[in-house]
Amino acid sequence: MTPRSKIFIAFAAAALLGGASVALAQSSGADPVVEQARAGGIVGEQADGYLGFAKTPPADLKSRVDAINIKRRAIYTDLAAQRGVTVQEVAAATACQLFQTRVAPGEAYRSEAGIWGVRNGAVQKPSYCP
Amino acid sequence: MVMNKDGSRKWLMAASGAAIASGIALAGCVQIQAPDKPIEINLNVNIRQEVIIRLEKDVRDLIEKHPGVF
Repeated sequence: MTPRSKIFIAFAAAALLGGASVALAQSSGADPVVEQARAGGIVGEQADGYLGFAKTPPADLKSRVDAINIKRRAIYTDLAAQRGVTVQEVAAATACQLFQTRVAPGEAYRSEAGIWGVRNGAVQKPSYCP
Repeated sequence: MVMNKDGSRKWLMAASGAAIASGIALAGCVQIQAPDKPIEINLNVNIRQEVIIRLEKDVRDLIEKHPGVF
């Protein structure tokens, strides 16, 4: 193997790896700005099934979160129609799951009573969750 | 004249009968009992827990299907 072909292979491998990581990031699909705000305790899951702000957000972050919430509402509305339940019920059921899986220690979340807290130990689930 | 008097008496009887009947009906309806337990005001009246449980699997799929939204 010539040094030239070795370099070529190295480049090809790097390109492949890069492509794979981009694909991964896309499949996870999460907005990196919003994810960072979650980690920073600015944005968090709410008991009503939507994202909210524990602290006043910059305008760019607000519009990103608003966009996510609009999509959530559309998804909730679809499932509610399919199952013959209310949109709030689908949203609440989703919140039950998200509270268990999507709030990491140190991240903010908003209780059923509308109070923001930071996860320290277990997340306190809303009363209607199983 | 007599007929008329008789008619008005009948009407009076019917009216008082109706009043008594409605009185009995009302007495039957209005039964207020103080509950044993303190009254709880649940603000989430529109969220039914059995529905939440029924939706559990659907919602998990929903979250999985839309990774950019959840």
